[in-house]
Amino acid sequence: MKIIESTKIKEKAYFEKLENGLNIIIIPKANTNKKYIIWGTNFGSIDNRFIMPQTNEEVFIPDGVAHFLEHKMFEQKNGTNSLDVLMALGLEANAYTTNDHTAYLFECSSDKFYEGLDELMDYVQNPYFTNENVEKEKGIIGQEIMMYDDDPGFKLYLNTMDCLYHKNAVKLDIAGTIESISKIDPDVLYKCYNTFYHPSNMTLVVCGDFKPEDLLEEIKKRLQPKENQGEIKRIYEIEEDTINKKSKEANMEVSTPIFMIGIKDKLPNTEEIVKKHIAIEVLLNMLIGKSSNLYKELYNTGDLLAEPDLEYEFSKQYAHVLVGGQSKNPEMIYEKFKDEVSKFKKDGLNEEHFERIKRKIYGDYVTEYNSVADIARMFLADSFKGINSFDYIEKFNTVTKEYTQQILNEVFSEDKMAVSIIKPK
Amino acid sequence: MNYKKENLKQGITFHKINTNKFKTNLFAIFLTTKLDRETITKNALLAAVLRRGTKKLNTQEEISKSLENMYGANFDCGVEKTGDNQVIKFYLESINNEFLPSQENLSKECLEILLDIVFNPFLEDNKFKQEYVDGEKENLKQIIQGKIDNKARYAYDRCIEEMYKNEPYGLYKYGYIEDLENINSQNLYEYYLELIKTVKIDIFVSGDLDENIISEIKENEIIKNLEERIPKYNINNENIQKNKVDEPQVISESMQITQGKLILGLDVLENKKECKYWASVYNIILGGSANSKMFQNVREKASLAYSAGSSYLRQKDNIFIKCGIDIPNYEKTLGLIKEQLKQMENGDFTDDDINNAKILISSTVGSIPETQDSEITYYFSQELSDEFVSIEDYIKKINEVTKQQIIEIAKNIQINTIYFLKD
Repeated sequence: MKIIESTKIKEKAYFEKLENGLNIIIIPKANTNKKYIIWGTNFGSIDNRFIMPQTNEEVFIPDGVAHFLEHKMFEQKNGTNSLDVLMALGLEANAYTTNDHTAYLFECSSDKFYEGLDELMDYVQNPYFTNENVEKEKGIIGQEIMMYDDDPGFKLYLNTMDCLYHKNAVKLDIAGTIESISKIDPDVLYKCYNTFYHPSNMTLVVCGDFKPEDLLEEIKKRLQPKENQGEIKRIYEIEEDTINKKSKEANMEVSTPIFMIGIKDKLPNTEEIVKKHIAIEVLLNMLIGKSSNLYKELYNTGDLLAEPDLEYEFSKQYAHVLVGGQSKNPEMIYEKFKDEVSKFKKDGLNEEHFERIKRKIYGDYVTEYNSVADIARMFLADSFKGINSFDYIEKFNTVTKEYTQQILNEVFSEDKMAVSIIKPK
Repeated sequence: MNYKKENLKQGITFHKINTNKFKTNLFAIFLTTKLDRETITKNALLAAVLRRGTKKLNTQEEISKSLENMYGANFDCGVEKTGDNQVIKFYLESINNEFLPSQENLSKECLEILLDIVFNPFLEDNKFKQEYVDGEKENLKQIIQGKIDNKARYAYDRCIEEMYKNEPYGLYKYGYIEDLENINSQNLYEYYLELIKTVKIDIFVSGDLDENIISEIKENEIIKNLEERIPKYNINNENIQKNKVDEPQVISESMQITQGKLILGLDVLENKKECKYWASVYNIILGGSANSKMFQNVREKASLAYSAGSSYLRQKDNIFIKCGIDIPNYEKTLGLIKEQLKQMENGDFTDDDINNAKILISSTVGSIPETQDSEITYYFSQELSDEFVSIEDYIKKINEVTKQQIIEIAKNIQINTIYFLKD
């Protein structure tokens, strides 16, 4: 196993790629009773057209299949549900689907880890889809879609994506629509399963008090033999650099308007992405973070009640900056934000301010290592982006003021910005 | 045992949790008062005004800058209902000195800033700064209005309000817009001075901290200047008498939503101390896990709901059943829920169900020390219930619960309120 150590935060990660292609990452952590395992496949809601390596068949799938598949993986041939089995062991089990991956996980604070591992590795490797169980799931997922329909924050985000993207599937609801899921059948689920749930498309991450060599053997023992598979060719719509629309507004049951400013960025380059990510986080905090002039002004006028949520979100297929919050005057906030960006571009970054925010961001990264769950989820999500999570700590000092200024000029351009607003009815 | 407490003065308690599980240290100060319509809005406003500035750091911007320089120390404050008390909570989290890129001592600095925020507020003309009070009144108003934003939470809050009409627990933790009008910087400051003299104060530190932190606290000028007090608060473990109701009250409200939120507020009429453990297990079997009756029968088998579960409110002896459903399925879901309650009464659950519930609770309680603020919250709730049950003993008591005891709880459950949020 390849060992990477971060001396700054005193943690190590063990990396192994098995012959069948499965990536395994183990982050041993002493002094904790919690163990967290997460097994993910690089298959998310945006992967809706691909060529199956086994048959060379091109497959188009309805929106929402990755998420539907996630729901259906728990059902077993013998009539049991693996989620129930794991819960019965006292394990906190769950699964989730994002734009670019699907993950199955449990957290253990007892001696039942290996019993849980039996179940997890068994159900992820043994799908069981029938017409009947697929039909039944449509009711449950339909309710889930409707629940999100009432969620203003969710709508706000989707509308932002709709502003930024013309065709990229990131603008669609991960769960699909009631209409799109009605077309899902066992055949399409099996096709996706057989393609994307191959070890070569998956990463397994474990964090907790383990001896990595022993754990690796335990994982290997539970892997079922599978023939090697070639690369999966994924076909994505070609996305233009421009944004789709400047703004989108909707009305929902909210007390005060909510807004999200989006900035579309070009597709990330794996070499640079960690550095760029750090620089963008520093910039967002300098522009509108807690100690910024703009935040102070907007707080004092009662236009912002709390610090906005600041994020740089990216996968291999998309990248964008998001600034979200709640305000009586969302349009004004958007204008002021754009003005502040121009001012920063013109005046350059203040040295003291830059260094102070860097210290803050560094502390945020260190704090992520408080929980085995956060660590494991971070390593998994980063691995699908081609990133080793420790790089955020290790490359930290390479982010200079000059570099950050350059990123400001490159990324924060007005013609790539849009705003989504939800107002009270 | 990694937990120690010491009375600094009557009514002022210091709690220390030693743990090396984290990269951070967490400091907290809790001020506990009785829930009361008279003071609830003032307390909520106070938390917001205090974080605006201290004698040394006059503005929020200066506080933020100091915290950013301390490697992004995180400050948070707010109000919470805990049983019949309202607790004003202040937290500060910072990186443990060991993980800093340079040699610095952040923990001492942290403690000082936190104490300053609570006990050394910025004043102008011997009262709170007018601008801060006015601004925070406006903010709090928006927060109170924002109650409707999260529909599931709103339905739950409304159900509690209806269940505890005219009782302290029915109060909304952020207070009331109409009560805000009469508050100004002068009378809020007078209220604050009185509060600081009489309120129950708990100071928590959690992390890999030096033993001498306790002497640092004792020698702190602010602590030295605080007077002894006989704090007025409600001990949470005292028996709650509940009245039998003939028929549950049924309330429905309309909003523009697509998914209905159905909440059932149940009373646990048994109120022996040990019953809290029985009711915990009962709740898990009824609706507290993916194996529960609610999840299995209402969500999975009948496909009636996306969310279906229940939670047990220990301090008030209530169980709340919560479902997100298709609006026309109201009657059908309600019928099915009542059937689950009946099954519980009939003892229609297996030894496996009981064991699974016990394992789940043990594992949840057992992992409390894995999160710094959960561990603080656990010891604080022991403090408020005026008894001490260690995490190990808690798990032991859960494991002693029998089927007969769970059935006894089931027979002593009544539906108090049915609340439905629809279109």
